[in-house]
Amino acid sequence: MARMKFYCDAERCIECNACVTACKNENEVPWGVNRRRVVTINDGVPGERSLSVACMHCSDAPCATVCPVDCFYTTDDGVVLHDKDICIGCGYCFYACPFGAPQFPEDGAFASRGKMDKCTFCAGGPEEDNSADEYQKYGSNRLAEGKLPLCAEMCSTKSLLAGDANVVADIFRKRVVKRGASVLNKGVSYQNASLRASSVGKDK
Amino acid sequence: MSNRFMSKHSQKFTCQIYFFLYLIFFLCLLSPLNVSASGPAASKINNPSNDLWISVRHNTESGKVTSQVKSVDSTVLINPQADRWTRFRMTQLINYGLFILSVVAVVIMLFYLFRGRIKLEEGLSGIMVHRFTDYERILHWMLAIVFIFLAGTGLILLFGRPLLIPVLGHEFFSVLASASKEGHNLFGPIFFVSLLLMLFRFVRRNIYAKGDLTWLLKGGGLIGKSHVTGGFFNMGEKTWYWIVILTGLAISVSGLVLVLPNFGQGRVIMELSHVVHGIAAIILVSVSFGHIYLATKGTEGTLESMKTGYVDIKWAEEHHDRWAKECHDNDRLISAEDYAKLQGRVVLDQNVSASPLMEETK
Amino acid sequence: MKLRKVSEQVVVEDAQTSLESNATTSSGNAVSRRTFLRNSGVMAGGASIVSAGFGLGMMKKAEAKEVEKGATTQVRTICSHCSVGCGIMAEVQNGVWTGQEPAFDHPFNKGGHCAKGAAIREHGHGERRLKYPTKLVNGKWKKVSWEQAINEIGDKMLEIRQQSGPDSVYFLGSAKHNNEQAYLFRKFAAMWGTNNVDHQARICHSTTVAGVANTWGYGAMTNSFNDIHNSQAVLLIGSNPAEAHPVALQHIMKAKEENNAPVIVIDPRFTRTAAHADHYLKIRPGTDVPIVWGMLWHIFENKWEDKEFINQRVYGMNDIRKEVAKWTPEEVEKVTGVPENQVYAAAKAMANHRPGTFIWCMGGTQHTVGNNNTRAYCVFQLALGNMGVAGGGTNIFRGHDNVQGATDLGVLANTLPGYYGLSSGAWKHWSGVWDLDYEWVKGQFDGGSYEKKKDKDIHVMNTKGIPVSRWIDGVLEEKGNIAQKDNVRGMIFWGHAPNSQTRGKEMKKAMEQLDMLVVVDPYPTVSAVMHDRTDGVYLLPAATQFETYGSITASNRSIQWRDRVIEPLFESSPDHTIMYKLAKKLNISEQMFKNIKVENDEPLIEDITRELNNGLWTIGYTGQSPERLKKHQKNWGQFDYTTLKAEGGACDGDYYGMPWPCWGTAEMNHPGTPNLYDTSKSVADGGLTFRARFGVERDGVNLLAENSYSKESEIKDGYPEFSEKLLKKLGWWDELTAEEKQLAEGKNWKTDRSGGIQRVAIKHGCSPFGNAKARAMVWTFPDPVPIHREPLYTSRRDLVEKYPTYEDRKSFWRLPTRYESIQAKDYSKDFPIILTSGRLVEYEGGGDETRSNPWLAELQPDMFIEIHPRDANNANIKEDDDVWVATPEGARVKVKAMITRRVEAGVAFMPYHFGGVFEGKDLRSKYPAGSDPYVLGEACNTAMTYGYDSVTQMQETKCSLCRISKV
Repeated sequence: MARMKFYCDAERCIECNACVTACKNENEVPWGVNRRRVVTINDGVPGERSLSVACMHCSDAPCATVCPVDCFYTTDDGVVLHDKDICIGCGYCFYACPFGAPQFPEDGAFASRGKMDKCTFCAGGPEEDNSADEYQKYGSNRLAEGKLPLCAEMCSTKSLLAGDANVVADIFRKRVVKRGASVLNKGVSYQNASLRASSVGKDK
Repeated sequence: MSNRFMSKHSQKFTCQIYFFLYLIFFLCLLSPLNVSASGPAASKINNPSNDLWISVRHNTESGKVTSQVKSVDSTVLINPQADRWTRFRMTQLINYGLFILSVVAVVIMLFYLFRGRIKLEEGLSGIMVHRFTDYERILHWMLAIVFIFLAGTGLILLFGRPLLIPVLGHEFFSVLASASKEGHNLFGPIFFVSLLLMLFRFVRRNIYAKGDLTWLLKGGGLIGKSHVTGGFFNMGEKTWYWIVILTGLAISVSGLVLVLPNFGQGRVIMELSHVVHGIAAIILVSVSFGHIYLATKGTEGTLESMKTGYVDIKWAEEHHDRWAKECHDNDRLISAEDYAKLQGRVVLDQNVSASPLMEETK
Repeated sequence: MKLRKVSEQVVVEDAQTSLESNATTSSGNAVSRRTFLRNSGVMAGGASIVSAGFGLGMMKKAEAKEVEKGATTQVRTICSHCSVGCGIMAEVQNGVWTGQEPAFDHPFNKGGHCAKGAAIREHGHGERRLKYPTKLVNGKWKKVSWEQAINEIGDKMLEIRQQSGPDSVYFLGSAKHNNEQAYLFRKFAAMWGTNNVDHQARICHSTTVAGVANTWGYGAMTNSFNDIHNSQAVLLIGSNPAEAHPVALQHIMKAKEENNAPVIVIDPRFTRTAAHADHYLKIRPGTDVPIVWGMLWHIFENKWEDKEFINQRVYGMNDIRKEVAKWTPEEVEKVTGVPENQVYAAAKAMANHRPGTFIWCMGGTQHTVGNNNTRAYCVFQLALGNMGVAGGGTNIFRGHDNVQGATDLGVLANTLPGYYGLSSGAWKHWSGVWDLDYEWVKGQFDGGSYEKKKDKDIHVMNTKGIPVSRWIDGVLEEKGNIAQKDNVRGMIFWGHAPNSQTRGKEMKKAMEQLDMLVVVDPYPTVSAVMHDRTDGVYLLPAATQFETYGSITASNRSIQWRDRVIEPLFESSPDHTIMYKLAKKLNISEQMFKNIKVENDEPLIEDITRELNNGLWTIGYTGQSPERLKKHQKNWGQFDYTTLKAEGGACDGDYYGMPWPCWGTAEMNHPGTPNLYDTSKSVADGGLTFRARFGVERDGVNLLAENSYSKESEIKDGYPEFSEKLLKKLGWWDELTAEEKQLAEGKNWKTDRSGGIQRVAIKHGCSPFGNAKARAMVWTFPDPVPIHREPLYTSRRDLVEKYPTYEDRKSFWRLPTRYESIQAKDYSKDFPIILTSGRLVEYEGGGDETRSNPWLAELQPDMFIEIHPRDANNANIKEDDDVWVATPEGARVKVKAMITRRVEAGVAFMPYHFGGVFEGKDLRSKYPAGSDPYVLGEACNTAMTYGYDSVTQMQETKCSLCRISKV
């Protein structure tokens, strides 16, 4: 069975935020909820790198472990989804997730957060596939149509990959080899190749 | 180690075996074969981005981390505390919490079975003394009821998944849990306010006084039949009071942090608050079992103090001798007749008590 | 590496397997995921409670109304944001735009987008759109009918015309019009009788077009984004594609990863592009020529130049050598701030890795010396022999989605469509194309003359109009100082925002002084709110490019066809329909639409395409007929990812979009020219030479190419441009057909409307426009050899004497233009920080459109200024503080401080997309109800100062001075 995963190639991510808006577009995600976000480390200095992060669809999902009402489930593809009808909006999954994937539409006093919303790998939810109910609650179900998450499909530099973990790993492995090989072909050490950062000379 | 089942020779041999096992264990710890948790296997070519990604893994990035998405913790790529918190809640808090609560409940039940109700040595006399004002009683019951509600809803949220879902099913439990969560969040601040009022009202009577340590060392007289001394509140009640106040404050403060996420506090603060809240709550609930038992079934004459505000003088002399003496000295005793009038009852004769509607007849 | 739809993502078979095992189909035979929950751990008791409905009562699912699912139509269109021209698959159901699929087949983006492209479907929501024609009455917005609006606007225009002449109405057009609309707009201005027509190119790449065209013939991107796959080195100066053209990075990274191409970024800021570069050179804003000459110094010093190429195809390189010799490493470091080792490394990288491509954008163009900068870049590539080769070239990334098209179609104050200029010959050519009497066209103009050439009066029809960068001076300047009859009194902002032009305070005054202000746009734009007018403002809702159809030209000169996605929303109308209505009111519609069919007030787009096909011979917009364009659109996937060529299929042999020049008529079936000036291919197959535009000989030096010619060229040397005379001389004239001869008699390759001259020239392997040398020295420009001049507002007073700016001019593009009188004053003490501006990936242009898109607006809620920690500490400013940014001309803006090391100490950066706040005052309430964008902010250009390019009047927005203080 294919296990679905995301992978973001930090060498190529340019923080164009297409993945963020593509997700909003496809799933009509309201203002204030961001299923996907791009984080930039070392912002503004040599060594700056960006990563696009949303739900990682963990094999051993901590959100599913901690949920007081056990509203999560993992599909056969390895996609971690949850049932908004069961969710009570307690926020524990948000604490448990190392990546901060769960989002809440409200931010009120007395912890009235509303139902948790998160990246579904464009696989909808427990409602019937591609039904109006499913779309209204969870967004699009592209997996049921044989497609892949729109964030990865619309990535400008193809840095965000999504799909069968084996295929994704294979693509990335080939990329790294090609990056390294193209360097070695020219007789330059790999050290200077993949993480090209600052300029040749020192700054004044 | 003394052991009836082994000969001295085999005991020595066993000791030697254990010694060597410990030695091997310690050597393994020191062995360079032990792969460290953080770094990858040593390689000839270093990936120059090693340091960067290691710092990301541990959320210790040194440079500026930004994101155009501006929500709580949006710039935290990986929160290493998340996993620890999850495991704490799902293994330690739930398991140990359940264990502690069960053990305390069982111990109390066993105590009742073996020891029975602690009756007054000299029995009830009928002569009463005023102990708690109306305000104090209302305050106590408000706090108590709110506490029981919070404890109940809290325990539903904590233990519901392993214990209740198998019985009730996901959909019904979700309704119950959602109601519990809303109720718990709503009444929490009320608990906090009541707790503060409780604190101000009773704090002076709960300050440590001479004789309290003795009371404690003698187990409050529960074990054995030694005599213990106490003031308005004895050491037992004082201990309970301070447990309530301290754990209650811990619960309230951490609870406020949890229930008001609109100040943008990060997840690490929330997780910490939850840990404090959970541990303090388990402690408070388990000790409350003791208080509730003792205040109701456990000792004769205690419940009346909170139900009516008055206690029997004999009860006072046995449990709070110094306060009883004060009442004697200040002539605060109320005869049975006067007490009945207070209650709105008229005593026609010793055996009959009539309702207030009947006229007093002589 | 060719990217296939499935291999980069998931293998479809696996997905199918998972589909089968879940047995999910849209027809509803679903094993739904609910089953999982029902089956897990529910005992009989629980289940019965559930089924009794007790539990579900409080958790009632929302019941969405089941709409009869209409069939989904897929519509192919092109993103309307930037000039990369990414393909879009729109999904429409029941006339509603419900989905957006990646266009995996499209050769430019392979389905990829940036944040804006990925959010395009929001145009179908249009919640903050201008919904109906609106008029400002007594300070309040009032809804009016189209008829009333057109009538009132038309009447006012005619009144202004009668009192002050046609030049008093300004037609500001748009880079967002499609080609047909842009062409129609230029024609509109011509029919009305004015050259006061312009669009965004003026303030974007006008210096590029002028500088580059005057170097080798055409002023456009020479290769393509896809061609960068062949580059062995990539140099970017003043260009930040990570934010401005993100999909371009798909191609640049391919070169970087597969060719190990060094990426060199030269920019005052450490941009997101620089983060992926191998070499980063931090220059002081405004020192482009020094840094390029600095690199060239090392190239000449080490004899890395391509001598053969220079001898054969370049004129004037020795003049360049003389100038470059002055730019020693010490001088370069003194002026730009870049140390020798970095300059050397960059030069060596480009020299050792050829062919390398040279990319620039606004960082290089928006200066008073913009035309110097762009020519220096060209000279650099000529010196290395990087021109006319795959992987080389000057890859100029244009801005808006159709700025290339609008530029080509002449929405400019200094030319008619196709860069024909404004001479009487040009007017006669176009009058012929328009099928109108030349005298009638001339008669539409004001009969006066306000400029002289060699003591001879020039008719106003043949003089350059006022450029958009100076329209406010057309209003505010003394009447006698302007080279036209009267001031500008009526202003039409047709698809153009005001906050992309400088001197916002004066613009506010100018807007208030106008007789009438008309805005035609899908959004109100800042024009609706930045002034304090109470009357005389009209807002007409235009439809977006997704509510109409037509062709657009991407930066690489490919022409793409858009289909209509949805009908115009609310009461909006496509631009060409509005033009027809207005033209009809002004009594010029008969002439304007003589050969264009009009149905229900909407002109037929294809007829317009055919008309422009019939006229733009100069740049080869003639072969791309509607039929060929539509065919290309339907067969996106058949074009090769790197070469853009179709092998087999319906478009066999064509290059995608038939990049211009696509010579001759459509029947000739020229494939288009993917890389300009490439002599390794025959002209018939998309090859080209440098244009013979500047004469045959100068000072005894041959200006034509020497021993360099296209593959299969029968003339094995340089040759001048083709005309009837030249054909006759060569003995090829009789190869024209009789009909062709009729039209070609007395004409040349530009004016022969039969296309025969071009056809025959190409048949013999020759470029119709000649085969000449590129000129490194442009003798007609203020600085024939590009030199450095300090910006008008400079902090380096020590360099002003050695590198002064130009002298003031009394009349330049009809207006007095100042240079040295501004530079003479020293502002550096009071305004010590260099201010520069640029783009953000989430927003585009003036910004009302993108700030009205909630998916984008959420990502950039605040206007800000980037300040270095040192400057922040000096002014006691902390992150997120509100600060005043004041500039020397008296304007100031209130923005949030962002403290970052992206900029160096002494330099600050502001994005220019915000608007709706003016000098601290929030203008949200002034927008028509429901049309205010979600995010408002100060416009950077409110504070940006005076400064205009010495050839094109491009505004200097990349280097001014400012003072930043805490609020």
